[in-house]
Amino acid sequence: MRIFDNLNVDFVSKRKMAYIISGTLILLGLISLAVRGLELGIDFKGGTDIALKFEQPIDIAQIRTELETLGLGNIEVKTFGGETGLLVRTELQGLPPQIYNKVITSIQNSIHKYDKNIKVTISDSSSNSVTFKFADVTAANKLETRLQNDGYQISRLDDNSIIVRVGIADWIEEALRNKIPDNHFVIQKEDHVGPKIGKELKQDSIIAVIFALAGILIYLGFRFKFVFALGAVVALFHDVLITLGIFAMLHGIIPGLNLEITISVVAAFMTIVGYSINDTVVVFDRVRENIKIHKTAPLKDNINKAINQTMSRTVITSLTTLFTVTVLLFFGGDVLRGFAFALFIGIIVGTYSSVFVASPFVYEYVQKSKKRIQF
Amino acid sequence: MKEFRFRILMILGVLALSLYLLYPTFADIQNTNKIEEEQALLLEKLQKSNPTISEAELNEALKIQEDSIMIADPTIRENREKRLKLGLDLQGGMYLVMEVNTAKLLEKLAKDPDEEFKKLLTESEQESKISDGDVVDLLAAKIKASGKRLSRYFGSIREDDDAIIKRLKEQEADAVTRAIEIINNRVNQYGVSEPNIQKQGSRRIIVELPGIAKEEEAKRLLQGSALLEFKLVKEADFTVPVLNRIDEILAAEFSDSSSVNDSTNENLSEEEFAKKHPFFAVALINPKSPYADAFVKESNKNKVIAYLRRPEVKNAIPDNAEFLFDAKPFTTQDGEKIYRLYLVNKQPELTGGVIVDAMANIDPQTTQPIVTMQMNSEGAREWARITGSNINKRCAIVLDNAVYSAPTIQGKIPNGSSRITGMGDMNEAKLLQIVLKAGALPAPVDIIEERTVGPSLGQDSINKGFNSTMIGFFLVALFMIFYYKKSGVVSDIALFFTVIIIMGILAGFHATLTLPGIAGIILTIGMAVDANVLIFERIREELKTGKTTKAAVESGFANSYSAILDSNITTFFTGIILYQFGSGPVQGFALTLMIGIAASLFSAFVVTRIIFDMMVAKGNKINIG
Repeated sequence: MRIFDNLNVDFVSKRKMAYIISGTLILLGLISLAVRGLELGIDFKGGTDIALKFEQPIDIAQIRTELETLGLGNIEVKTFGGETGLLVRTELQGLPPQIYNKVITSIQNSIHKYDKNIKVTISDSSSNSVTFKFADVTAANKLETRLQNDGYQISRLDDNSIIVRVGIADWIEEALRNKIPDNHFVIQKEDHVGPKIGKELKQDSIIAVIFALAGILIYLGFRFKFVFALGAVVALFHDVLITLGIFAMLHGIIPGLNLEITISVVAAFMTIVGYSINDTVVVFDRVRENIKIHKTAPLKDNINKAINQTMSRTVITSLTTLFTVTVLLFFGGDVLRGFAFALFIGIIVGTYSSVFVASPFVYEYVQKSKKRIQF
Repeated sequence: MKEFRFRILMILGVLALSLYLLYPTFADIQNTNKIEEEQALLLEKLQKSNPTISEAELNEALKIQEDSIMIADPTIRENREKRLKLGLDLQGGMYLVMEVNTAKLLEKLAKDPDEEFKKLLTESEQESKISDGDVVDLLAAKIKASGKRLSRYFGSIREDDDAIIKRLKEQEADAVTRAIEIINNRVNQYGVSEPNIQKQGSRRIIVELPGIAKEEEAKRLLQGSALLEFKLVKEADFTVPVLNRIDEILAAEFSDSSSVNDSTNENLSEEEFAKKHPFFAVALINPKSPYADAFVKESNKNKVIAYLRRPEVKNAIPDNAEFLFDAKPFTTQDGEKIYRLYLVNKQPELTGGVIVDAMANIDPQTTQPIVTMQMNSEGAREWARITGSNINKRCAIVLDNAVYSAPTIQGKIPNGSSRITGMGDMNEAKLLQIVLKAGALPAPVDIIEERTVGPSLGQDSINKGFNSTMIGFFLVALFMIFYYKKSGVVSDIALFFTVIIIMGILAGFHATLTLPGIAGIILTIGMAVDANVLIFERIREELKTGKTTKAAVESGFANSYSAILDSNITTFFTGIILYQFGSGPVQGFALTLMIGIAASLFSAFVVTRIIFDMMVAKGNKINIG
């Protein structure tokens, strides 16, 4: 089967149209970035993420209102993996002091609920845990299992003492347990990221992207000509900007599609860079070959010919890659959805740009500078 | 066909190597299933016989059962060590990043800190949080700006600021080493399987604890100040009767139903001996040694711990004594790892707070490694009394309840300056130095990042990853056949090779497979056919110009060479950068992506090529859709 047999399209002359399409997409993206901004995950912002799985379907709106009454400030509540999954997020690093005291009291109440006369003292407390000391082993044993059944995270310090966790995550979990008593849940995932880490990650990501671009510029400048390297990098900027713009445009709009910027989305962007450059280089390689064979032919013809010759490969490879990315998008689970979405958009845009942006840019640049390219 | 022999052998070799590297992974999956089945049976049995059994007791019993299965079949452990490891996001567990709290360390190190010092320190700490500056540098600059010399707070009056800053930074680096050792020690004692503790940068420690999902438990392991104690080791004439009593108690308990035919005590078979002396069977004593330390194989350690925890056994241990294990096992000539089990005084003679400094060195006279240790005046006075009255007894150096060394006291040490000899090598001496310092100077660490994945999400991710890989593979494979017909089949064979090679290399590198890593494999499946597509398209073009099949294949491969290489090298390059900058999961993705590129190039240039060449040699027509 051949879909692009004897294709002969004057792609270079259609570049004005491509400029309009790309320009519009980039402009829309930039406006979205300025107005709506990106939704940063806790990898970059710092904070706490808790993913829970309930036994029965849940009512997100109800949970949202319940959690708002906790007095923890801004808590985000989203679905996570179907209608029984829940993702709760807060930027707080620890419990506010007034709530901390409330939490301790509620644990003490739980203890006394089981045994009014039990002797218990608080022997140690930190921002994330409280240690309760009991009179003897049997009392500690009993309360250990009891509190565990109540859903507290418990560990044993020694024979007589147990440690109860009172971190922000525990408090949210505890609140959910009380408010939705007939629907049990398990914790799927819990992440805490300190503010410093997020800041460093942002820096590292930017450095990584700059390094990648610089490296590509150098390698292609060395293997081809500087103009080609520049054309490829312009196409990369184009791809990344448009994909970022789409992230800014769509985050929070499509239900079930979580478009926040996490570390794996950054990895996806780097992969887009890698994929798009791959596509572009294949076209450039053919342009180089054509220039070598048809030394006297105008550059425009050589570029057009190269794009037409490689069109079949460009489309086939993009299709097979899109197949697998689509599989990831639908079957890969929530953890990978943002990652897969970035790749999905990036591959489409990257394929488009290697045909309509990178090569026409080379043509335009050579026209303006009135140079001749020879290999 | 002779011309193909070498290449066919190479392909078969690569395939065989990949399968060989993957075999332990397959075997381990089966072993794990088997162990899980047996554990489920045991669990049911235990819960039926004792409905009120606590979770801790259950876990202990399960652990012992797993140990005994592992001993029975040593290949289980071998395969487990060689298998393709699963990342924390797939098997569940905790990932933590910790950072040494320099401000707390400096506060501890400062001589008579005044209010101003504390103020400057707090300021420096705040600033370091929002900038990249080191607390030591920031504080030094602030002290200088306030018109004081650094020697007001640190070091001696004769030292200039630069020398003091250099030394403080050394202290900072020391604290990281110390913290790592303390954490290692605790994690080993806690019995986490396959923990990973490593240093990142100059001040950070990454800790990965598979299977632990209780945050507080982990934090207790990782934070909190370390406790260094000096405890006198009980002498043999005290220890031996205690060990005998424990053995008798256990023997009585195990033999209550089955009567032991008490014939002769000599020449007992191993099995009979284990029945008669359950404790000595797992905790061996050397009758020729002047000491009564018991030797416990690593695989029996959990069993011994469980024995010692039994209430009847606890009663047999005198109140003033306790059993402690070595922190690290020693290895015998036949590769067996052995822990010593000491009976020591429960009450420590001294705690590590009195140690001022410790230093590992080579003794110039004997050229043996030694560790010298200084104590403060209060500690030295006590130490003189203790050493004076316990000559020829052993004193165990105990960190967080694990014995690091038990040197014999050779004489009274009057001035607190002690020399410890008898270390096997310099590394051992260095370790002891770290441990001794841990008592004097805390290594305060803050948890700055923490990620917990529950086992259910992990399993879910594995299933989704596996399904996605399968669906992705078949979609791409079917499409290639649909579009390229017979040649599509060839590319599918190459694709199959690519996937096997990727998995084989990952297992061979002892790499860890993460969810993004699986995503990398899935993505690679889509991208791996690219090289084949380029080649096929090129061969089509060459055929169109009227070349013979042989010539078309020849130039098709030759002409697509540069495009394939150039495009893949640039992609590989972004993979390297991603690997460099990324953390755990992202690195897994970058690694699979890079391996995928290499594997797909091999498949295209070698596997696809030879199939085409053979088809041409047989005179078959090449069918490219």
